[in-house]
Amino acid sequence: MGLGLLASRALRPAASRLLRYPPRHGLARAIGSTPERQSPEASAAQAQPDPAPELPPRKPVAGARVHLPNPEDAIEVFVDGYPVKIPKGMTVLQACEVAGVDIPRFCYHNRLSIAGNCRMCLVEVEKSPKPVASCAMPALPGMKIKTDTPIAKKAREGVMEFLLMNHPLDCPICDQGGECDLQDQSMAFGSDRGRFTEVKRSVVDKNLGPLVKTVMTRCIQCTRCVRFATEIAGVQDLGVLGRGSGEEIGTYVEKLMTSELSGNVIDICPVGALTSKPFAFKARNWELKGTETIDVTDAVGSNIRIDSRGPEVLRILPRLNEDINEEWISDKTRFCYDGLKRQRLNDPMIRGADGRFQAVSWHDALAMVGEVIHKVGPEEIVGVAGKLSDAESMMALKDFLNRMGSNNVMCEGNGKHPNADLRSGYIMNTGIAGLEKADVFLLVGTQPRVEAAMVNARIRKTVRATHAKVGYIGPPTDSNYDHEHLGTGPQTLTELAEGRHPFCSTLKNAKNPAIIVGAGLFEREDSDAIFSAIETIAKNGNVVRPDWNGYNVLLLHAAQAAALDLGLVPQSPDSIKSAKFVYLMGADDINLKDIPDDAFVVYQGHHGDQSVYRANVILPASAFSEKEGTYENTEGCIQQTLPAVPTVGDARDDWKIVRALSEVAGVQLPYDSVGGIRSRIWTVAPNLVSVDEREPTTFSTTTMRPNTNQKISPNDFGMAVENFYMTDAITRASKIMAQCSAMLLKK
Amino acid sequence: MAWRGQLTKNLRELRFLFCQSSPASSSARSFVENNYKELKTLNPKLPILIRECRGTEPQLWVRYDFGVEKGIRLEGLSEEQIFKALKEFAKL
Repeated sequence: MGLGLLASRALRPAASRLLRYPPRHGLARAIGSTPERQSPEASAAQAQPDPAPELPPRKPVAGARVHLPNPEDAIEVFVDGYPVKIPKGMTVLQACEVAGVDIPRFCYHNRLSIAGNCRMCLVEVEKSPKPVASCAMPALPGMKIKTDTPIAKKAREGVMEFLLMNHPLDCPICDQGGECDLQDQSMAFGSDRGRFTEVKRSVVDKNLGPLVKTVMTRCIQCTRCVRFATEIAGVQDLGVLGRGSGEEIGTYVEKLMTSELSGNVIDICPVGALTSKPFAFKARNWELKGTETIDVTDAVGSNIRIDSRGPEVLRILPRLNEDINEEWISDKTRFCYDGLKRQRLNDPMIRGADGRFQAVSWHDALAMVGEVIHKVGPEEIVGVAGKLSDAESMMALKDFLNRMGSNNVMCEGNGKHPNADLRSGYIMNTGIAGLEKADVFLLVGTQPRVEAAMVNARIRKTVRATHAKVGYIGPPTDSNYDHEHLGTGPQTLTELAEGRHPFCSTLKNAKNPAIIVGAGLFEREDSDAIFSAIETIAKNGNVVRPDWNGYNVLLLHAAQAAALDLGLVPQSPDSIKSAKFVYLMGADDINLKDIPDDAFVVYQGHHGDQSVYRANVILPASAFSEKEGTYENTEGCIQQTLPAVPTVGDARDDWKIVRALSEVAGVQLPYDSVGGIRSRIWTVAPNLVSVDEREPTTFSTTTMRPNTNQKISPNDFGMAVENFYMTDAITRASKIMAQCSAMLLKK
Repeated sequence: MAWRGQLTKNLRELRFLFCQSSPASSSARSFVENNYKELKTLNPKLPILIRECRGTEPQLWVRYDFGVEKGIRLEGLSEEQIFKALKEFAKL
């Protein structure tokens, strides 16, 4: 809540009264204290006759839109005399928000259950004997709510005084300083002197792991973190212990918080009790520059804000996007940023005869690559795009290698023979937000909790809200919602496809069944047969209908969807085994043993990760935080990153390197600007150009895909992601992520 | 009709772009709907990329070796005519 707004509202009662009542004795204005101002109750009891208050029409807080699902069920309430129409069942606090009045609060959070224990949101309701906690009180028809009366103000001042009684007031050394709800609201409702002379209580700090720092003395027992942990993260570790002044938040026994969403408690904590451990004492929030961008550590494309100071990324915070990540992000997204300044490649390098790398100029490095690429046959050139590549660079790489005569350009994670024909065959057709409408889930070979934590949070939300059934095929997994483990491998899948499995009837009786297939299955040799079995299940279960498409593929990497859209499909699956020239564009997870010993390997990327050990030439590129790039997430939503910090050393944007190389190699690409490359993309996959849109698919793979004569192998499904905290070059370079995998991973 | 199984001889990639709902794209949509399965069965190795985007003109693009591309607008073309265009492209 803005400080100025609060302060102005705190001042308003007096000012508006002066304006509203014309002076009785012809005096211009009264200076000094009147009896009614000395005792707020008296002035309220005097009852404001308010025949027709001339209030300007108000807009909902933060420009929110109010959707009335059922206009007959709408009720009218009056907030400060201003009538608003709200749907039945809204609370008084929500009604006030619709009327444009922001009520101060600590414990209330609109995505968590209502606790009503901080009492900060007290408002006056006509005919109610005492102020009511607006967050917990349902609005009733005709209710007259008053938010800025002296009674409400006095009540809040009382609450604030009690809250500050046991609060340490260590704002100068508190990391929340400057973005603290308690600090802001004490500016409006706090007293300038205390009446408390006893000793303040103190609470022992808890160890919640390497991510969340606790200073429990600052805690005001709002219980937001407890409700977040139980309701959204699905870990029952946090709770409230003790009563009265002995009340504290803790885990009862010494235990770390092992949730992939634990970082979000930092954001929801209204005070400085839970703060970010890696960010501790690093910066003040007003020194930081925020850049609104998106995350690339998984295929969800969570909306984030990168806070930076100078050339350094200091923290990553979530941004609201109801369709993708709501207002949460996973711990990997939030804390991977220290990997952005370790192990970075900053100069072009060539491996000398002695096996050591030597820093050279861009001119020399490109000249060498341009010379070597002409010495090999076109079919011996292979390009591999990495899991963090953006669409522009993949387009440039594909065009460049195509022009060199090679048709073997692929993206890691998509398997040896990806089928990129129909978009519905590799994206999440239901959409992440659409999963909330599903009533039965069938997870095939996917562990959403580690593959895409935000999708998992969505499934958990649905399971909690509607008791949707979840069936799971894959290795035993640690899930945070009830699920039925149907089997471990393709055997169960065949049973389901042939209708012999008891879960078939559940799927058939469902109104909106959703099948989620893990992209880990792309890597299997029998992927065609597996996908055709899943399509049979979808057909039998009526999963794809004109009004509902429940056939979903959950991708693993940020680059995957765009790579398939652009047609990064290798002509021959094992081309890399006979390659003489391998271009790795940030590809660190390919099997380096597959590359022949005599092959010339170019590594273009931002981190000195696994592939650098095999590279002959290194071309340094910029990371996602340093460039403008287009990414498509697993549901097919196109989003763009924006540069938050400058690039490291002599590094350049990926597509620019490929463009420069094409010129050196004599096959100049016909574009030299981001606009140019996007118009080229427009002739390949026009959906990649419409940013922030999801293009629906026309045809479903369930009806269009030709039959395969592949046989399903009996091998069980594997885990696609072994270590949630370390999946790519950035997270592997991160110290925080290394600590997390050492401490939090369940062995 | 034998040429339909020989697309991979010269072509490296086939791309159909169209709008999901516009009437201008309707012929391209029905062409894909009726013939995709057959073309893919005959040419299992050829990527036939079907890309939809609101407001896109219906187009057919083919890619040959060395990144050479040719395209044609499909608006108003019948199924016959699209096949004819494709055959021309496949001949090089």
